[in-house]
Amino acid sequence: MEELMKSNKSNIKKRKTKSFLLKCLVWFCGILTVSVLVYILLFILIRGIPNINIEFLFGSYNSESLSAFSSIIATIIMIILSLVIAVPIGVFCAIYLTEYAKRGNKAVKLIRLAVDTLAGIPSIIYGLFGMIFFVTLLGFKTSILSGVFTIAIMILPVIISSSEEAIKSVPDIYREGSLGLGASRLRTVFKIVLPSAMPGILSGIILAIGRIVGETAALIFTSGTNVMKMPTLNLFASQRTLAIHMYMLASEGLPHSKDMAFATGAVLIVIVFIVNFATTRLANKLGRLNNE
Amino acid sequence: MKIVKKLIVVLSLALMVTLVFTGCAKEKTSASQPTENANASDFNSDKDITVIARDSASGTRGAFHELMKIKVKEGDKEIDKLVVGALEFDGTDKVITAVEGDKYAIGYISLGSVSDRIKAASVDSVEATIENVKNKSYKVARPFLLVTKGVENELVKNFLSFADSKQGQEIVESKHYISAVDSPVDYVVSSLSGNIKVAGSTSVTPVMETLQEAYQELNPGVTFEMQSQGSSQGIKAAIDGTYDIGMSSRELKDDEKSKLNEHVLAIDGIAVILNNQNPTSDLSSENITKIFTGEATKWSEVTK
Amino acid sequence: MVNSNKSNNLKEKLMQYVFYTSALVSVLAVVSICLFLLMRGIPAIAEIGFKNFIFGQKWAPVDTPPSFGILSMIVGSLYVTAGAIVIGVPIGIMCAVFLAEFCPAHLYKFVKPSVNLLAGIPSIIYGFFGMQIVVPFVRESFGGNGYSILSASVILGIMILPTIISISESSIRAVPETYKEGSLGIGATKEETVFKVVLPAASSGILTSIILGIGRAVGETMAVVMVAGGSVMPLDKIALLKPIRTLTANIVTEMSYSSGLHTESLIATGVVLFVFIIILNATLSLIKSSNN
Repeated sequence: MEELMKSNKSNIKKRKTKSFLLKCLVWFCGILTVSVLVYILLFILIRGIPNINIEFLFGSYNSESLSAFSSIIATIIMIILSLVIAVPIGVFCAIYLTEYAKRGNKAVKLIRLAVDTLAGIPSIIYGLFGMIFFVTLLGFKTSILSGVFTIAIMILPVIISSSEEAIKSVPDIYREGSLGLGASRLRTVFKIVLPSAMPGILSGIILAIGRIVGETAALIFTSGTNVMKMPTLNLFASQRTLAIHMYMLASEGLPHSKDMAFATGAVLIVIVFIVNFATTRLANKLGRLNNE
Repeated sequence: MKIVKKLIVVLSLALMVTLVFTGCAKEKTSASQPTENANASDFNSDKDITVIARDSASGTRGAFHELMKIKVKEGDKEIDKLVVGALEFDGTDKVITAVEGDKYAIGYISLGSVSDRIKAASVDSVEATIENVKNKSYKVARPFLLVTKGVENELVKNFLSFADSKQGQEIVESKHYISAVDSPVDYVVSSLSGNIKVAGSTSVTPVMETLQEAYQELNPGVTFEMQSQGSSQGIKAAIDGTYDIGMSSRELKDDEKSKLNEHVLAIDGIAVILNNQNPTSDLSSENITKIFTGEATKWSEVTK
Repeated sequence: MVNSNKSNNLKEKLMQYVFYTSALVSVLAVVSICLFLLMRGIPAIAEIGFKNFIFGQKWAPVDTPPSFGILSMIVGSLYVTAGAIVIGVPIGIMCAVFLAEFCPAHLYKFVKPSVNLLAGIPSIIYGFFGMQIVVPFVRESFGGNGYSILSASVILGIMILPTIISISESSIRAVPETYKEGSLGIGATKEETVFKVVLPAASSGILTSIILGIGRAVGETMAVVMVAGGSVMPLDKIALLKPIRTLTANIVTEMSYSSGLHTESLIATGVVLFVFIIILNATLSLIKSSNN
């Protein structure tokens, strides 16, 4: 009996140590993940920020300055135009899926499958498609415009799924109230459902902005790697975005290109930081709204 | 008690992680910033050479591999004998970064891109400088030629004067080629219009395209038609008169020379680059061929 | 009154069509991506010969006669992805366990956004980081020239972390409390409960996260291009510390200067990649439907 107790005790001790080790492992992995992030951020920021100056941000591009000004403007154009295309389509698609489609409808299944597939396609495939379809077949050449269309398709699933989530989370009482007051379905959607779902939709849009800013592989064959001395609004011109600017600087071999690649990286990280912060804030706001 | 235990765990883990990372960081700095007076004993010449090439679609690779006989013609076959396992990059700076970080690396880049991050080796004891390329003593170079036949018309003449002008040669240099014109003059805008047909080398095409765009900006009435299927095709097209200008990335043969006018647009010089810590600074062209085809795999085999 | 009702009805109908059409855009996008990729890729594969293309080990597109064999890159993609899984999955799952079960609330507020930020960092920055830090590190500590399967695996392992962490975390959180209570009730430690009860119960969510991670790793382009070295290795010479070329890297390194059949063969490389992604997507929907 005593022996059994003893072995049991040692067994428990063994289990305790094992548990303790497991706990250490779990903590280690958590800390490791955060450390990796902090390390990457600090590495780029510390080497990049000292190289950022007014000329880099707002000067004209030449092989000395390697200014990012025109790439920054190109990125902004890219963001605005692709959102103009993708947001209405994406939000309407979400409205259809949540408000209009009947459950178990075959079309809905197909659409969901399509959205899931789009979300899983790697950006290089989008790049190839954009090159074949927009650049060559439609004759847009390598231009901002080809890039815009390619990117718009790419961010579509992000916008659809976040809008769908947001619209779904609008309580049914809102709809019933509005419909009960005699408002039409359409009016209910636009005046009641969409405004309440706005924070969620917005956070989807911000997420999409993050993807556009960081995209390289889909744009390198569509909007191209050309760099203008000064920004241009010409949509048929080939222009590189900020991320491609960084890639080119990391490949090209101009005298200061490495330093400037760091600087571009720092700018990118700052943008990503802002985008993430905004998304989190909006998501929190949405969460609070739902809890009320 | 429990809190203390937890705290110890967290702190020790954090310490571990930081140690690992600072370890990386230190190694990184020592790798990327080699000290000038690194003693040569650090360099173990029995280590394998890291061969770094460009991607197979690159013009620099095409030129270098042909000039260095890495790509060889056997009858109607043309085979690139680049050693298996050579790194292939799609950009000059990636090649530079790789050579900069690896003591045993060798790569090649446009002469215009050489910086103090790496060093350019002399080839057959001739230093890789722009002067030596221009006086043709440095052999790893090739001219970019524009060839025409007979008396050129005004339009072609005007375009060629643009190519030779300050503006034109600036474009040439922005593409990392060496300007072949000694003291270029400013281009004078004409009010000509018409079409210029150009054919030839794929290597010359990119710089030619940029030249044409700049020229069209000044002369909106002029259009271009361009075919790029290789130097020989361009030379042939110029000789038989189907195209106004032929582009060639090789020297003309004697029989071609007698039929055509040559304009040297630019010189494409290629530097063989080594890590700053590599004690070698001179390589014979046979040894370069050996390294890139894998016949020699250690630095001790090519330096003595 | 009747009139306005009629116009309202018309508007309603019209908008319904608009919603429906928008929803079909994503289906159209998927169909045209498939169609145009295949349209350009299949003839190239036919011209090269299916066997020569898929099972050929020699990639020499500018030789005369050229060879277009991509077996080495297919295997390369598989190796690099496997490496990323080996590195990313254990750490990711552990970190998810940490977030869901062990992380104190005040730390959670910091760790969770960090994971999101990790997901938002552009791949070009990972690539640049890899080139500047991971490659030299591998070279100094393990030998070889640093550009290797190992470096690519490390970078990809970090890149798939956020995917694995967030999906695993939510599936761990979805495990009913009663499971845990039962296990704790019979005297198991918290760690034992988590690893023997909660994790198995969350396995299908974790599996989903792994497959999504695989998808991301297979399709990742820019980061891999910068650290893998790009050599086309014969199968018997592939090694952990040797350089490698993946399918994605093949497309992006050679596309910009290629012409003729060479370009087509690169698009065909994209088709092969696309087939991989479709297989992964199908697996994913199989898991999803078997859960429902």
